[in-house]
Parts: sequence; C-alpha cells; structure tokens
Amino acid sequence: MNRPTDPRSVVMNLPRRDALDKLTGRTRYTSDLGVGVLHAAIVRSTVASARILRMDFAPALAIKGVRAIAQASDAPGLFGIGIADHPLLNGTRIRFKGEPLAAIAADTLEIARAAAAAVIVETEPLPAVMTMAEALSPDAPTLHPDWKSYELLRDGGIRGGNVAWEARVIRGDTDAAFARPDVTIVEDCFQVGRQNQLPFEPRCAVASFEDGRYHIHTSTQVPWTVRAVTAKALGVSASRVRVTVPAVGGGFGLKFDCTIEPIAAVLAQKTGRTVSLVHSREEENLTCLCRENAELRIRSAVTAAGEIVGREATVLMDCGAYGGEQVFLTTMTAHTLGGNYKLGSVRLNSRAVYTNTPPNGAFRACNGVYNTFFLERHTDNIARAIGMHPLELRRRAVLGDGDIGATGQVFQGDVLRPMLDRMAVLIDRTKDHRDKADGRLYGRATTVGTWFIFVGPSSATVNLNADGSATLVTSGVEIGSGTMVQALPQIVAATLGLSPDEVIVKSADTDAAGRDLGVGGGRATVSIGAASKMAAERVRDQILDIAAEMLQAQPEDLILTKGRVEIAGRPGTGMAITTAIARAEALFGPVSGNGNFTAPGVNALPGCAAGHFIEAIDIPVFAVHDCEVAVDPDTGHVEVLSYKVVQDVGLALNPRAIHSQIQGGVVQGLGYALHERVTVGPDGALEQPGFEQYLVPLAGDVVPVEIDLYEGAPSIGPLGTKGAGEVPILNVGAAVACAVSRAVGRDVSELPLTPPTVLALIQGRTGRMDHPQISAIWQDNLLARAT
Amino acid sequence: MPIELTLNGESIALDIDPRTPLLDVLRDRHGLTGAKAVCREGFCGACTVHIDGQAVPSCLRPIGLLQGCNVVTVEGLTAPGTLNRVQQAFIDHDVVQCGMCFPGMVMTLTTFLDGTPNPNRDEVKSALVGNICRCTGYERIIDAVLSIRSEGVA
Ligand code: FES
Ligand code: FES
Repeated sequence: MNRPTDPRSVVMNLPRRDALDKLTGRTRYTSDLGVGVLHAAIVRSTVASARILRMDFAPALAIKGVRAIAQASDAPGLFGIGIADHPLLNGTRIRFKGEPLAAIAADTLEIARAAAAAVIVETEPLPAVMTMAEALSPDAPTLHPDWKSYELLRDGGIRGGNVAWEARVIRGDTDAAFARPDVTIVEDCFQVGRQNQLPFEPRCAVASFEDGRYHIHTSTQVPWTVRAVTAKALGVSASRVRVTVPAVGGGFGLKFDCTIEPIAAVLAQKTGRTVSLVHSREEENLTCLCRENAELRIRSAVTAAGEIVGREATVLMDCGAYGGEQVFLTTMTAHTLGGNYKLGSVRLNSRAVYTNTPPNGAFRACNGVYNTFFLERHTDNIARAIGMHPLELRRRAVLGDGDIGATGQVFQGDVLRPMLDRMAVLIDRTKDHRDKADGRLYGRATTVGTWFIFVGPSSATVNLNADGSATLVTSGVEIGSGTMVQALPQIVAATLGLSPDEVIVKSADTDAAGRDLGVGGGRATVSIGAASKMAAERVRDQILDIAAEMLQAQPEDLILTKGRVEIAGRPGTGMAITTAIARAEALFGPVSGNGNFTAPGVNALPGCAAGHFIEAIDIPVFAVHDCEVAVDPDTGHVEVLSYKVVQDVGLALNPRAIHSQIQGGVVQGLGYALHERVTVGPDGALEQPGFEQYLVPLAGDVVPVEIDLYEGAPSIGPLGTKGAGEVPILNVGAAVACAVSRAVGRDVSELPLTPPTVLALIQGRTGRMDHPQISAIWQDNLLARAT
Repeated sequence: MPIELTLNGESIALDIDPRTPLLDVLRDRHGLTGAKAVCREGFCGACTVHIDGQAVPSCLRPIGLLQGCNVVTVEGLTAPGTLNRVQQAFIDHDVVQCGMCFPGMVMTLTTFLDGTPNPNRDEVKSALVGNICRCTGYERIIDAVLSIRSEGVA
C-alpha cells in the first residue's frame, strides 16, 4: 500500500520538548556527569615537531590518588578519514604543539592535572613547517615520512609528501577557453584564517567498562564514528564499544569527529572505574578542530555577455598535523567553488596540506563558507572587468534547470534565479538603510551560494505502544538544531495520526539503533527523517490492515488521525488506535516497523572528478544573501545595517525553528566575516585560548535577519524537505566582503574584516594579494599521479 | 571557621578552601549543574546566579567572600514544576537551541526585568552584554523578552 503523507499534516511551529529542562537548568549534558567518578587529564606536547626519546611516568605514578596512565601502546591503531594517519596518543613523533601523548586518571581533577604535569617527556627537536607555503616548498621536511605505508580508507586519492590528499576536477578544454580572442581573463588570489566553532559545551566523555565492553557517554554528533574510531584506535572489535549521547551543548561540526572518547575508554578499562574526561576551555580552544585556513588562486575567462567559458582554480586547505576532515572536504571544492554558475570548461585542484599545527575539522558548511566568499568576490571582480552589474552577471550565469555542474552532474529545476527574484522582492519591501550610515561609507551586496545535504545511511525503528504512543529509536542526537525534538516527532506523528508529544524519541545508543552517519551536514531531517518516515509507514500499514478487518472495510479507505482509525472523510467513525493495537497484540504481538535510508547516488560525468568522496551531490541547497554595511573611514569598523536571507528549504516542516537556525547561523557567519580569527603563533600554537582573545558576536553586534523561505525546489528528502540548519552560514562571509568591498572601493581578498584590515584597505596600504606557493600555471600545482 | 550562607533558601555551612569558586561549590558539592562552566573567566555568563538579588557570574566568586550571602541558582529560582515569566516567554517563542547559555540568560534577564520593567530593544541588548550565546544569534531572545514587557503594559 502506498499512501502519501499529507505534508500539511506535518508542517507546524511545534515547540521544543526539551526547552523546559534546558531553561530550568535540569538538562544533564555530558559535562554535568562527572560526579563520583575518576577524572582524567591529558599530557600534551609542548613543542610542534620533535622525536620522542623517552617518557618517564614514575613521578606521576608517585602522586597519591593517581589510578592509571594511558599511553601510545594502549591504542596502537591509526585512524582518520580517507587515510589512517592519526594516532590517539603519540609516543614517537610529535607533529603539533598540544598533541596528546598520554593521559592520567586520578581521584580528582587537580591530582590528574598535577600528575600530567609531572610526566617527563624527553624530545629531540625536528624541523617544523607552520604554513602551507613552507610545507609545499621543495626542501620542506615531510611530516609523515611513512605516508606511503598508511592504510587508505578510501581509494582514489592523489597523495604525496606534505599533500595529504588532492582532489581534481577536469571538464572540457580550459586551454582553448582561455585562448579565445573574445574573452576577458580575470585572476585573483584570496585567503582566510581559521574559525573556532566554540560550542559552549567542550569536547568531553564519560567512559566505563561493563561486561567486557566499553561504554562511552559523550558529547558527539557522530555516535557511530566514535564507536568505529575507538575500536580502530584500541584495536578491538567495534561490537565491544557502546556509545550513548545525552543532550549535546552545541557542536557546529566540531563534534563530527571522534577525538578524546577513546582516551576515556582506555582509562576506564584500566581502572575498572567510570572516568570523566572534560576539556578545559583552554585545552578546547588550543586544540580546536577549526574551520581551516585556506588560500586560493582562481582565474576565469568570461565573454562580454557574462558567459564563463573557462575557470581554473587551486585551493590549499590546511589540515594541520593529520588529514582528518580536510581530506574529505577537498571534495566540496568542486561543488562550492565549482558551484553557483554555468561553466563552459573547468579545472579545479583542491589540496589538503599537512603542517605542524593543530588539526582542523568540520565547521557548519565547512569550506563552502570560504569558497563562497572567494567565488563571490571573484564574481564581483569579473563583473567590474566586463562592465556588467554584478547582479545582472549573477542572473545570467547561475545554474538553472538542465545545466551541468563542475563535475558534469545535471541540475534539476530553476532555483537560484527565482530565489534572486524573491530577494529583489524582499529588498523592495523594506527601505534601504543608507541613512543609517550617517556619513560613513555605505555598501550593499547580494550573493549566491551552493551547498549540499550530506545524505548517506540512517536507520530507524518505530514501536507502537499499547497506550497509543510511539517510540522512535534512531542514532540521532539533539545538538540544539531541534531535529530530534521537532522535525522527527512531527514526521512520525503525522504518519501515525498522533500528536508530536505522543512520539517518544530515544536518545542515541549504538546498542539500540542501527548505523548512522551522524547529525551534521544538514542530514538529520533528511536521512534520519526518511528512515523514520518509512518505519512509521510500516507501522501504519499494519494497523490499517488490522483495523480494516475489524471494521470490514478496505485499508485504503482508512486513515489514522487524532489517535483514531477512521474511515476517510467520515470523522468519528472507526475506533481508537489503542483498540486496533490491542487486537494486533492479541493476534501477533506488539507492533513495530523498521526504516532505512541511504544516498541514492547522482551521476557525475565519467572521468571528470578524481580523488572525490562525492562526485555529484544528491541534494543541492541554494542560498541568496543580501547585506548592507556602513564602514567608518577613520577606524575601519564595519557595522552591518541589515541582513536578508532567501533560503532553499524544500519544504519548511517547522518554519519558526528554521528561522531560529537562520538567525543563529548568520550571526556565526558575521563573526567569521568581521572578527573571529584563530591565528597560529611562531611556535605552532593557536593563540586564542579563551573568550578574551577569541571574539564571538555579542547581543549588541547583531541585527534581526529578514528571512524568506523558498519552498518547492526538488529534493529526495522526506516530504520534499532539505536540511535547514547548516546552510545559513554559507554566504555570510561572501555578502559582507562584497558589501565592504563596494563601500570602500577596494578589493577585499581576506577575512575577517577587522578594523585594522579594513583601515589598511581604505588607506590603500594593502597590496594586491598573491600566493607564490600556488603556481599561475594550473597543472604545475598537481602532484604526479601516484601509481 | 566555616563559611555560612543561604543556598536556594537553605542555610549551609562549608568548611573548604575560601578561594574555591562558587561555581565549583555548586556543581561539585551540591550537584547543582544548572550553572555551566563555559569560560571560567567571567566573559560568557553561563554560570550566572543571584547573589543577594544581583545576577553575577559564579565562576569568579571565591566562596570565602560570600559569608552570610543569599545565593539563588536557576534550580532555586522558582518552585519545582513552575516557571517564571522569562522562562515561559522563552518556551512560547521557541528560542532555546543547545541550551547551555540559557540558565545564565534566565538569571540575568530575571533581575533585569525586575529593575527595568519596560525596556526597549537596545536596553535588552545592553543587559545581555555579559551573556554570550553561540547558537541563537540573540534577536529572538530579545523578541521574547520584549513580549513580556508588552504583556506587562497591556
Ligand atoms: S563560566 Fe563564568 S562567565 Fe563564563
Ligand atoms: S543556545 Fe547554545 S549557547 Fe545559547
């Protein structure tokens, strides 16, 4: 039976079920659970690059209250994404300052920290590379001399020396395009620094060892990744690891990787006790898996009519000492820097580069945020070079129905162009804020952006309880985005004719639910939502069959609504759902259903993409942002006067919650655009240990975002949904940079736009940006293909 | 000499290092985890409690300076099972996300509204200068607070 669920029965501004406990301080986060357990502290390297000669734990063990030490030999396995290059605890070669070398469990945190400080680590210095330019120079020391022997977790990567991974796109003949007599060639270089996610709850884990298995209770977005990585690092079967997750105090991608969890697991096994490991704010900031710093060279061949006939670009992404997420993210250059616009021919090279700095990670829309900044500023420069209005160029060049993307995938539906029209309407509706500039330099820009929903496997089970409620079991976690407390219960409730508060949502437990890629990349509503919907539909079909028999009706004629099974169109007929459940239980037992989902897979053009994890995107997501700024010519201070977003959401299941995500995501983007910057010092250490040095937006810095949700673009998500929480940050850096550039009449080539940076621009003290480490000849930046 | 103070309406006596931050006393000794340790430097406001009716960060308050003080945490702010008007407005406007900043937000805004019953938008923003939120982008929190004001006026 295939009965569609009416989307209108799902859509609502459902309030959050977790708000009451969160507001009264009763929610127990992982970091609230450290009472009555052992506490752990990590021994970290104090230099960026060195060989370890000797570690002496005797002084630490002599301290009363020390219960166990975890060291490299306890976790022999290397792990990673794409390449297994990362040890849990390093006992041989230090590759970044702050690298975990060992960990100590003790009766109190003070004792653990004192013991960690007492461990003697004898090292011999090795040369270090702190920048990608240094790492790529011909005589650079190699961070991973054994790179060839590392296990490959994914085929197809092009690797070598300090290049952890290279992903390439080659479509069409760019040489011919650039040689055309009728094109203007525009070339630019850009760069960005690192951004710290800074979720309020740091990374933390509470581990115990029960019946020969590791139980890790942790603040993560990816319980199944924690399970797999812990098993790999410790060299045990994954079935011996159980991961459970309570409310997560913010993630933003930082917790999309496994980091300290296996350390807590080792210490729990050694002590037989429950061990709590919580990063201090300083540890958290100094080892933060930031949005990476990056450098770009791009050039485009464009006709007078605004047709981009050729584009070539090379992006350098700093992965820090280990490959991590950046190896995967090389893929996303094709779909972001290579996105938005129709390209006649294109060659892209995206390189993850090792440096002796703390590893980077995933942060909301990841490299899409800076690639969109690069692309949109470049687009403005193209518009200027060919003498076309930047908005007109975008209107002509954006991808539409049937157009092909960088890797040759065929896009469906006109989305960006009508979204630009909707933005024009939104702009018309509110007056401009030029008057608020009040003598300062005024600028405005509209930018476009392309991101994707990270789909992939999810599973769900729905148990229909005798009291008429339903229990949804998935591996999803609530990181603040509302998926677990709003979108999923809405979907299940609508399918079963219940109210959302009758849907119990079990928190993630890898012993209870099937495998899942985790919450991030906008995937929860789509992937877990689709699995949940399927599970609920299987339950619904069983109940309707039973009820049809009892009512002597056809199942097709029945509906589930308001806790009842009714004959469609005849309210009050039929029976309470509990009656049908009781009958089902008498006949064959309790009613439950399973659902699953995975990426259907969209085709790229064969041979276009090499080294990519995702050659074509299953669900593209588009965004149009508009921003007005006022720039103080004397101080370089940028004030955002207004901010507008038109976002492609597929179907807005909970419009109010999506608005909240957009407001929050835009504000994080404003921090990135204007003042959030993590810098690497000469010793390779990150230089912002706390809130005093790392400036996040405060209430007084922000504006209310004006929002228009664009519905109806094609999506394979349940009921046509797309994830809405990740993308709001995507083109904030781009919109602010383009607006400031226009305000001051100079090229903005880097973020963040701090007052000194902007003042230097205004005063003409900023030279044209160039990256000698990226050759102007595109193919000179390629590694020889590994054999 | 033990430090004596009132915590959520109960008198307590503590025989501990007077330099111990109030936040650690609350979390480690009394299991009151509503106040969050986020920065421990007085910047974020997630650890905010009321001391003698004032909303202050508890991470920088040595317990030794609180002799005779009246300390109220978010757990003691209202009778169990009840909400004050700030908490209710936050539910009604669906403004909570990860939630880590909210106990502190509630404590700050509760005293603020007592002192400034009819604030304007800028006044609410100024009141939040010591309370950082990484998730929400603030504006909807401010909408919720202003809704209390307008209800009060009506
Ligand atoms: S933890 Fe006290 S102000 Fe941040
Ligand atoms: S809701 Fe997450 S910090 Fe405010």
